[in-house]
Amino acid sequence: MGNFAFLAAMLLVGIGLWALVSRRNLIKLAIGLSIIQSGVNLFLVSLGYVRGGVAPIYTYAPPGVPMVLPTPQALTLTAIVIGLATTALMLAFIVVIYRHRGTLDAGKIRELKG
Amino acid sequence: MNIMVHAPILAIAVPLLGAFALPLFAKVHRNLRDLWGAAVAGFTAAMAVALAVQAFTSGIQVYTLGAPSPTDTVVAGGFPIRIMLVVDALSAFMGLITTVLGLASLVYAWRFLREDQGKTLALTLFFLLWAGIYGLEYTGDMFNFFVFLEITSIAACALVGYRTWESRPPEAAFKTMALYTLGGLLVLLAVGILYGEYGALNIAYLSSKIRGALVDKVALGLLLGGLLMKAGTVPAHMWAPDAYGEAPAQAAIVLVGNTQASLYGLWRVLFTLFGGALFAPQVGWLVVALGTLTLLVAVLMAVIQVDLTRLIAYGAVSQIGYMLLGVGVGLTVLSGRPEFGLVAIRGGVFHMLNDAATVGLLFLAAGAVYRAVGSKDLRALGGLGHDLKWTGGFFLLGALALAGVPPLNGFASKILIYQSSFQLSPILAAIAVLGSILLLAVFVRAFQGAFLGPRLTKAEPAPLSMLVAMGALAVLVIALGLVPGFFLEHLVNPAADALWRGRDLYLAAVLGG
Amino acid sequence: MGLVTGQGYWTPLIWLALAAGVTALAWLFWSRGRRTYKAGTEQDMPFLSGERLPEGVHVGSHHLYWGFVEGLKPILDRLVGFHSGVVVDYVAWTVVLLAIALVVVLT
Repeated sequence: MGNFAFLAAMLLVGIGLWALVSRRNLIKLAIGLSIIQSGVNLFLVSLGYVRGGVAPIYTYAPPGVPMVLPTPQALTLTAIVIGLATTALMLAFIVVIYRHRGTLDAGKIRELKG
Repeated sequence: MNIMVHAPILAIAVPLLGAFALPLFAKVHRNLRDLWGAAVAGFTAAMAVALAVQAFTSGIQVYTLGAPSPTDTVVAGGFPIRIMLVVDALSAFMGLITTVLGLASLVYAWRFLREDQGKTLALTLFFLLWAGIYGLEYTGDMFNFFVFLEITSIAACALVGYRTWESRPPEAAFKTMALYTLGGLLVLLAVGILYGEYGALNIAYLSSKIRGALVDKVALGLLLGGLLMKAGTVPAHMWAPDAYGEAPAQAAIVLVGNTQASLYGLWRVLFTLFGGALFAPQVGWLVVALGTLTLLVAVLMAVIQVDLTRLIAYGAVSQIGYMLLGVGVGLTVLSGRPEFGLVAIRGGVFHMLNDAATVGLLFLAAGAVYRAVGSKDLRALGGLGHDLKWTGGFFLLGALALAGVPPLNGFASKILIYQSSFQLSPILAAIAVLGSILLLAVFVRAFQGAFLGPRLTKAEPAPLSMLVAMGALAVLVIALGLVPGFFLEHLVNPAADALWRGRDLYLAAVLGG
Repeated sequence: MGLVTGQGYWTPLIWLALAAGVTALAWLFWSRGRRTYKAGTEQDMPFLSGERLPEGVHVGSHHLYWGFVEGLKPILDRLVGFHSGVVVDYVAWTVVLLAIALVVVLT
């Protein structure tokens, strides 16, 4: 059971990759990337988990109880913020593309090719 | 307080501050904005150059953030717990390339960008991208490497696609963004794996621990996938012609710097992070094979392009192939360390500087063409040499240099790559020479199409600030070509040595003797 | 000032001197040739296969190398198809690159 979180994270990454290569709608592409992001974030935060650990706040932690690692949580927070920025930018581009072309089908948005 | 001690962090923090303060100054007055931009750029460039001088004269510069003193790298027990910036000769060399490209871009942008077409926006994004590139090159920590990678991704894509009133740039930006995000996530996954295995993020500490277990190999594969994509390697290079081709000229040359910073990250991962685990030969062959494939495919695609900037973009991708080939040859023979391996790495590293100057010059000249006649379609262009005399001259110079015609700079680095890759396998050298011949044909065609022939339309010559930026890069192209030995001895050789045998020094500088 | 390439060396300044020498030699031969050229006569006009060409014709750059491109058409068509412009294909090729990297590293 200890590796369940890792398996779930890899499953999310796999689902996201599958969405990326099998769907042709731009919004669904962005969703696929978000799912990969969630998978990676889950992986990061579960790296620091200690069974029975408490939140790593020194002042409030009861003595003698193990704490979970604080670094992966900081990493995950940073990664979530970055993911927010990339998703927002991508969706903004999708809106602009839709205004110009009137479609979200990746197969039709190919003015740049060759 | 000695400001030079803090040069590494200032070179990253000052352009970051500059980026976010720039729109505020623009609200007051546009001249104040330009003054602020010039001051920030000047200070950043001074820091990067001073840092390079320090790194080249007195060895690796380490800066620890949040420590009582910036040189307190490790806590008791020899564990580097804090975030660090580590600047060795290669980082400093890359910093110099970034500085040259950034300054040229800014001087060019002064008259190239129009106020009613988002000039403030473009300048803000430029400073953000510039800060991110410096961060990529100076960081000594895998997670911060990822953070800076994402900063450059976001800023670069926004810079490609900010002209939302046109239909092509947002498309190019979205495609690039999708790939950059995927690549960034692969890198983050690898960083997570390495953290889970060793409980650290510091490159030097990780490097001292990695022994080539299965998870290490998976992490290396993920890092290779993400960074090779971001560097524009075939078959994941398709974003590059879109992004370079649609970005405005002043942004395209910073994108070239961004690509090279990703290549630097690749070298750092292969030679420093995994340098001790030495699964080098097959990884080296992978890099060599992808490099040859990249240069061949990109050059063949350039032959049939009819869009001037897209044609140059494929030329730029082919140059990435030469760098991969040069350094890849060095990586393949890293364990035996024969003499030609070092020559190959020198060629690859020198080619990064040459590529920055020549491709930058070509993109700037193409931007001047676009500004003058409002088109970049080679089927419609012609006869611009009558009006754009200087621009035409600069384009020809850049074209010849990119194709590797002696005595310009492209030849100086390519001959190092030809001769050393010949010693690994003659086929590689043959493909590399073939690529150069095709490149010459491609750029003769581009020059003929745009600048020669009878005058078709009246074109307005480029303003002085654009000519100054192009002239500076042209002088660099000629100087690098005429006295390559000087640059090789003072800049390239230390940087190549940092890859060839610098790993022990890097580890010692961070972790202590 | 030159560079040592492992198998030889490259000195641009000597190369330039040689190039200047060759240019001087070429000029010497040229200057000893016949002097029948007269500016302003029909010698200045463009002809192609005996036909007088109209002024102001520009051969577009995409017409250059027509034969070369035609000869390589099978390869180039495949390459152009490979750059389809569909973002899903781009992502798929990136995944292929990742797979290649993983396979090479793991074996």
